[in-house]
Formats: sequence, structure tokens, C-alpha cells
Amino acid sequence: MGIFGVFYSREIISVFISFQFIIISAVINFLSFSQFLYQSSLWDKIFIIFGIISIYLLMFCIIYYFYIKMDVLDKEALHRDFKLFKITRNDWYGEDDI
Amino acid sequence: MNFILGISEKINPLHSVMVLSGVIFISSFFVMSENRAVKKFIITLFSISLITAFYLNIYSFISAGNFSSILFYFENLQMLEISIIIFCALNLLFFISIYGRDNRHFIKILNLLLFSTISAIFLVVARNFLLIFVALIIFILTTFQLITALNSKTDRIRPYIMGYFLRPLLAVILFFFGFSLFYGATDFKDFNQILQSEHISNPLIASGLIIFGVAVYLYLFLFPFQGPYIRLVKKNEFSSNAVIWFLYFPIGIFMLMKLNGLYGFFIERNNIYAFILLAIAFIFILVSSIGAFKTNSIRRIISFLFLFFIGIFILNISMFSAGIITGDSLAWFNIENIFLIIFSFIPIYNIFSSLEKNTNSDSIDNIRGLGRSNIYMGINLTIIFLSWIGFAHHIGPFIKYFSGTNPAEMGILNLTLLVIITITFIFLLINAFRIIIRFFKKPLRGTIEKIVFPGFLYIYVTFFSLITLAAAVWGLLKILNIDIGIMDFKITGF
Repeated sequence: MGIFGVFYSREIISVFISFQFIIISAVINFLSFSQFLYQSSLWDKIFIIFGIISIYLLMFCIIYYFYIKMDVLDKEALHRDFKLFKITRNDWYGEDDI
Repeated sequence: MNFILGISEKINPLHSVMVLSGVIFISSFFVMSENRAVKKFIITLFSISLITAFYLNIYSFISAGNFSSILFYFENLQMLEISIIIFCALNLLFFISIYGRDNRHFIKILNLLLFSTISAIFLVVARNFLLIFVALIIFILTTFQLITALNSKTDRIRPYIMGYFLRPLLAVILFFFGFSLFYGATDFKDFNQILQSEHISNPLIASGLIIFGVAVYLYLFLFPFQGPYIRLVKKNEFSSNAVIWFLYFPIGIFMLMKLNGLYGFFIERNNIYAFILLAIAFIFILVSSIGAFKTNSIRRIISFLFLFFIGIFILNISMFSAGIITGDSLAWFNIENIFLIIFSFIPIYNIFSSLEKNTNSDSIDNIRGLGRSNIYMGINLTIIFLSWIGFAHHIGPFIKYFSGTNPAEMGILNLTLLVIITITFIFLLINAFRIIIRFFKKPLRGTIEKIVFPGFLYIYVTFFSLITLAAAVWGLLKILNIDIGIMDFKITGF
């Protein structure tokens, strides 16, 4: 679902929500493997805490950067027509004339 | 004395980190200052600390040898990688001091540079999954902040920076998912342990590795996902481009090199993987060389050529999977390739950015007649571009492997590999000579305009071209089998 959302979404908030789907699935993996295979070891909890804190810190920084001081027009453009995997001919063949 | 020696032994592979952290602590008292004298003092302090860190890194390896613990491992390869990172950081300090000295946040920017260098060093020496993951994410975070701080004057660049850094964000999230699968397959916390365990054939390991592969692919902006990278490089401030090329990309390559052992295991088991890798490498090299050839913007040319050299890393892995080179030679080939990139692109970008600042345009026509108006710079640049001929040593293992064999008996995979390497070499030469010929062509306007470069740039470029010449002489002596006994250094695996 997360990967599909990342490819399909056309709005930046949906992309972030898709990221969170992947994070949550990873957390479920950690916890369930720990519960059923390794008799609730401590290792997975430590990994989850550090992983979640650091990922969310990075996500927060990017969102904060998005909402602070960005041009209103740029914000609108990002909200209206945003695609994480937009592949255009101009990116590898021809001049960038933006 | 014994107490100091005891501490020194305990922090063995991290002497360089200690020095850099100390300097961050000292400079944090001056972050608000905009005084020119303070800025000069901080630049000197940072340069001395980076040079000391470079020395200590090599010294600690020579004096104490390999080091291994639950969190870190430090061998020949790690020593070389850390040296490369610190050398790049020193050059970035140089770039930022030239182009960002007027920035209000200059000292903060330098602090961020050291933070990202330290996290990169931790990533290289990390052995434990948790440390690898946290070091990688903090490295991306500090690089993001560094680039945003360098571009703080222009607001128009913001969407491009965001578009760029959403990819590494997705890459680290995929890494997180991949580590959860590794945890499910085995209870180990280390790539080497997994490689030696009996769980290696567990399908969860294979799926985790595929996810890691996708993450590294996204991190390095390989074809066809290079859009945000190319757009950001075109709009970016000079020194932040250097951060992307000389700090962000080498870390992706080191991450790939960490995974080489596991990938090698899977690729050796099935020939079809080698063909897939070869196809990816070929498409990538073809597309990036055509991109570099078609465009007239210098920034785009350098960024495409950077991608081209990253394609060569994938080619190296496919040479390894075909059995032409061993795992140790693969590490050595990768390190040589990184040296080739660093020692050619740093001076080239330095001169071209200086040209762009003079002329306010990044068109390739600016370099027409540079070899005529400034003969010294023209010759130095030609030497540096010709260093790319060093790529020809990729054909060496084929000659050793198949000497005296009929080409028809080489096997379809090896033959395809040889053809692709030859094509890559030809593409590389076409791109290099396209620029070299422009140096010695007549300028468009008829008269040759004298371009004045700052004095320090001459010393800087001469240093790089002398190193290139020394490497070329050493390579020639090696080919001619003349042993002068200076270099006797081999990588013994990792």
C-alpha cells in the first residue's frame, strides 16, 4: 500500500502518509518477529525507538522547511501537481529551461 | 601517561572523530559572530582539524592495525574510505570558504559540514545494523540542513531541494523495512554474521536485499529517477553542488560497498542476476553519456558524467558476478574509481564554477579558447581530463583471465561484458575529448578574452594535476612490470 501510494499520489501529504504506511509495516515486522521467533528480545524495541525518532526527525525537518517561507505559488504548485516519480524527457535529454 | 595511552587505545578507530568533535565544541562559541577575523580563525581551525583528523586516521591504523568490536570494524578499506571522506570535507571547506563566506550563517554552515563528516565516518566504520541506520539518517539530515543553509538567500530553490531530499527519505524508510526483514530472517545484527550463517538462503534475506538494492538505487538517483538531482544541480548554489557530489554520492557508494559481500553471494548462485545487472549498467552508462553529450550546460554535463561514473560501479559488480575479478579486486576497483572521480571532478568543477562566476552563464561556449588564453590552466585541465583514460585498466583482468583463449570460448556473458566495457571506454573518451577540443578552439567572438583566475586556484589545480601525473607514471610502471618499491599496498577484504 505504501509503495503504491508513493507512486500514485499527486499530493505531498499523501506521499508522507504513504511513507508512514511503510514505517508502520516495518514496525509490525519487528514486533511480530520478536514476539514469535525470538521470545520478545529487547533488540527490536531499541531499533524501533531509534529508527522512529530519527526518521520522524528527518520528516519533520522536511515538512517544516516546506511550510516556512516557501513562496505561496510554489506551495500551491506542490499541493496541486506533485509526483515523487515524475519522469520527463527534459531530465535526461535536452536543456533545462525552467 | 599510561592513562592517556589507555584512553587512546579505547577510542582507537575514532581518533579523527574526537578531533572534529572538539573543534565543533570550540566553534559553537562563535556561531553568532559575523566578524571577518573570527571567520578566518574558524576556517584555519577547521582546516587544521581536518588535516589532523586525516593524519590520525592513517596513524591509528598503522600503529594499532585492524580493530573490531560489537559496534565498529576498522580495516584497510575503512581507513581508505575515511581518508576519502576527510579529504572531500577539506575540499568542501575550501569551496564553502570561497563562495559562502558572505553568508550570515557561515560558521553554522561549517559546523554542519563537520557534523555530516562525522556521521559519514560513523557510517563507514559501523558494523551494527542500528548504528548503520542511525548514522545514515543523521548524515542525510545534516546534508539536508547544510544544503538548505547554503541556499538560504534564494527562496525559489526550495521546491527543488524538497524534491531532491524526499528520495533519500524514502530510501531510509526502505532501509528500515529491509532491516526488519533481516531481523525476521536471523537474530544477527551484522552483515558479516549473516553471510556466514546457515540462514543465508532464507527468502526473507533475499527480499531484504532487493529492498536494500531499491533503496540504494533511489539514493543514488540512478536512471530513470535522476530528475530531481539534475534539476537541483542546475539551480543550486556553487558550494552546495559540491556537497552533493563530493559528500552525498561517495556515501551512497560506500553503502553499496558494505552490501557487496551479500549481493556477491546471491549473484554467484545464478547467472541471470549477472545479466540483469549488466543490462542496468549498460542502459545507465548509455543514457548518461548521451545526456552529457547532448547538453550544453556545464553543470548538467558534470552531473551526467557523475552518474556515468556511478554506472561504472554497477559494471564492476557485474564483473565480479561474472567471476572475472575476486571480491578483494572489486573493493580495489571501486576505491580506484572513487579516487578517479574525486581527483578529476574537484579541480574541474572548481575551475568551471570560477568561470561561471566570471561570465554569469554555465554554457559550454565559455570554455572555448581557454587553452589559448590561459595555456597553463588549459594544459592542467587537459591532464586531468586525460586521467579518465585510466579506466582502461578494467580490461586488464580480462587479459589475465583469458590470455591465450579463443574469443569464441569466452562465454556469452564475458564477451558481452568485454564489449560493454569497450563501449563505456569509447563513450568516456568522446565526452572527455568533446571538452578538451573546446579548450583549444577559437572563441565564438573571434578575439580571445583573458580570463583571470585567483592565484590560489593555480596552486590548487597544479596539486591535483601533479597527483594525476604521479598516478599515471605509477600505472605505467606497473603495466611495464617495473617495481620501484614505493607502493606495496593491497586491500585484504572486509
